[in-house]
Amino acid sequence: MLVNRMVRAFDTWQARRSEQSRSWQESTYFVLDMETTGLDPKQHQVISLGWVLIERGVIQLDTAQHLLLDSAQIDDSSVGIHMITDTDVLEQGRRHASVLRYLRQIMKDKVLVVHYSPLELGFLKMLWQTQPMPDLAIDWVDTMQIERRRCERAQTVIQEGGYRLGACRDRYGLPDYPSHDALTDALATAELLLAQIAHYSRQEPSLQDLKKLGGGHIRLSSKTIA
Amino acid sequence: MAAIDIPEVIKFVDATPPFSSLTHAQQKQLLAGVELTYARQGEILNLKNERATLHLIRRGACEIRSSQGALVDKLADGDCFGVASVLEQNPEGLQVVVLEDSLIYRFQKEGFQTLLQESEDFAVFFAHTRSSRLRKLSRAQATDLATPALQLSTPITQIMSQTLITAGVTSTVQAAAKQMTEARVSSIMVIEHNQLVGIVTDRDLRSRVLAVGASPDLPLAEVMTSAPATMDPTGLVMHAQILMSENNIHHLPIVESDLTPVGMVTAADLLRHQELSPLLLINQINRQQDVESLQKVCSQLTTLIVNLILTDMKTTDIGSVIAAITDSLTRRLIELGFERFGRPPFAFSFIVFGSQARKDQSLGSDQDNGMLLSKTPNEQEAAYFASLAQYICEGLDQCGIRRCPGEIMASNPKWRLPEADWQSSFTDWVESSSPSALLNASIFFDIRCVYGDDACVQRVIAGMQSRVMKTSLFLATLTRTATVAKPPLGFFRNFLLESSGEHKHHLDLKHQGLALINDLARIYGLGCRHYKVSTKERLEQAAREKLIGLDVARNLMEAWDELNELRLQAQRKHWQKTGEPSAYLDPSELSSLERKHLKQTFAMIADGQAAALQRFSGGYA
Repeated sequence: MLVNRMVRAFDTWQARRSEQSRSWQESTYFVLDMETTGLDPKQHQVISLGWVLIERGVIQLDTAQHLLLDSAQIDDSSVGIHMITDTDVLEQGRRHASVLRYLRQIMKDKVLVVHYSPLELGFLKMLWQTQPMPDLAIDWVDTMQIERRRCERAQTVIQEGGYRLGACRDRYGLPDYPSHDALTDALATAELLLAQIAHYSRQEPSLQDLKKLGGGHIRLSSKTIA
Repeated sequence: MAAIDIPEVIKFVDATPPFSSLTHAQQKQLLAGVELTYARQGEILNLKNERATLHLIRRGACEIRSSQGALVDKLADGDCFGVASVLEQNPEGLQVVVLEDSLIYRFQKEGFQTLLQESEDFAVFFAHTRSSRLRKLSRAQATDLATPALQLSTPITQIMSQTLITAGVTSTVQAAAKQMTEARVSSIMVIEHNQLVGIVTDRDLRSRVLAVGASPDLPLAEVMTSAPATMDPTGLVMHAQILMSENNIHHLPIVESDLTPVGMVTAADLLRHQELSPLLLINQINRQQDVESLQKVCSQLTTLIVNLILTDMKTTDIGSVIAAITDSLTRRLIELGFERFGRPPFAFSFIVFGSQARKDQSLGSDQDNGMLLSKTPNEQEAAYFASLAQYICEGLDQCGIRRCPGEIMASNPKWRLPEADWQSSFTDWVESSSPSALLNASIFFDIRCVYGDDACVQRVIAGMQSRVMKTSLFLATLTRTATVAKPPLGFFRNFLLESSGEHKHHLDLKHQGLALINDLARIYGLGCRHYKVSTKERLEQAAREKLIGLDVARNLMEAWDELNELRLQAQRKHWQKTGEPSAYLDPSELSSLERKHLKQTFAMIADGQAAALQRFSGGYA
């Protein structure tokens, strides 16, 4: 019994390892951005989620989705930033539980991509706490960390604010997107990742290379609720 | 999959032609399944199999190159490629090379093909893009193959100068320098017993005499380069080029086997031979000493322009090249006139009107010019300016800038006036507001100074403008007069009906198209606070001052470019066939697609005329 479990665990580990050393293009990436009521996952809530997938190395624009969460309490200051009003929440908000199940379903077997992981991963963990759900173990990549590593290696001095999404995109000559909803920022992050990979080095990076630059593995779990 | 719902994507597509002409439903249909890819600088894009589809550049720059690597087209934000690979499996083997990192939308082939069938405008746009790239491709290939090999095997005797500038070894440096200056050359051959023994160049005079403070009375033997590199007259251009670059010299004496000099080749001769360039032509113009030799130099002008048209130079650039050359020619003739008739008794400005002022001359444009005198001349002074003007205008005519049939030339005493009289002429034209007077005078409102004090010309312009502002009726009358002539929209219907019959219509691109845009631009230009003279600058300025809608201005500029290119191409073809330029277009030489496009171009002019009537004449025609 124990041997069987160990063998299975080893197989999974080996499969994951070989998957990670293949070209990055062979994985599917789930590029996510969230609009929140503030910057602290413990106090604030997620208002909306926007995402788009990268498959076979290109952004599949018609996988893009933008969902509002109905549990969020919206205060005036976040309305100012994101231009989302209570009416939007009423009209477009989905039931919290089904949105999360849908989200988990889509994220499964993909690599999560975010810009600034401490915040986005913190909010994801928080979301898993709001609702009993199966665990989700997932690889993630952070475009801000990748950018930081790249600039450190090139010994480029970056000023304060220079790692914000727009500033990073500027360095690659990517277009300036005036709107800042979750969906636009998810697309902006996906484009940034493609640009970073194109500038990686002579050969195409593997998923492992990307994770080494700025990424990791995380397990989202609801267990502590019980 | 779900329809694309990303505002930034939809916004971009909706603002980019030809997608902007689609309905929102059609845009959604095209966007279904669209992919966004990032291409790195230097990459050659794969357009085979499932990638043989329509691409649209969101941000970046690419080049289309022929299979041999010749440049066919340059693309940037909002430009499309891959159309040939959808329609005909890319029979020319065109390649797309990424110039700058690019974000590129890749559409699904099926959606694109459906739309080509559904929307005619959409299909016309891509067919036009395709045919214009094919045209550019054939030109790129033609220029690829033709010239260099031929030129290098030309015998050197064909391009060397045969006028020998020589001096003996005992001549002084000063005497040699004087001789060189008079002959306008940059080197002198030093001979002894009729054999070449050395060479002295401009640079030698500088570095071996002036820089070291040597005496101008030194004999040449002391400063010359002895036993210089030479070539015999049986050599080829190619040999001369190799010799000169190996020895790093700019002057190569051509001598017989017994060292008797027969000619001289300079680096400039080689360059001139290699390519007839505008800059060299201007240099040559500035060096000629009489009208006859100017005439010889200017006989190359037509060939030069035809070459420029062939090399696909932009039409506005061709216009400025011709203007620069005509301006230089005019100034050179003025200087030669001074040598002949003496210095002028007082200052004057030489001004040009019409196409030379607007810098949009083409092959065979005639001269329109005048003189602005700084004083009222007495009888004797008037006689001086009369002979000078006569000399200049005749000189221009001999050099290929024909006399103006309407006698708007400096040689006509009516257009040789002091500043105050120019002012009152403009006042008369502006205030008379009689349509026929205006029609005849309109050419004077395009004015530019090519010689003398520009400030007094600017004063005349400023005076004319303030008069225009004060006379509310003027622009209205000018607009009504200028819009009497309409673009020949009906022409196409007739053409389609009668193309097989014996009534073969020819289209006058200048009077039925370009002139109408020039007229509109002039009206808007005169309504502006800042005076501009070229048609495109006027339209830009009017858009900046919000006299004209940005879209109308852009359409007119595009129409102007389109017609100008057609006119230059038609002139080139006609010139190569008959030796005479002609602005008439034989529509049977156009494809049905090009006709459709031309029709759209004329429709843009009609829209522009309507907008001008609305703006300046309260809508009354």
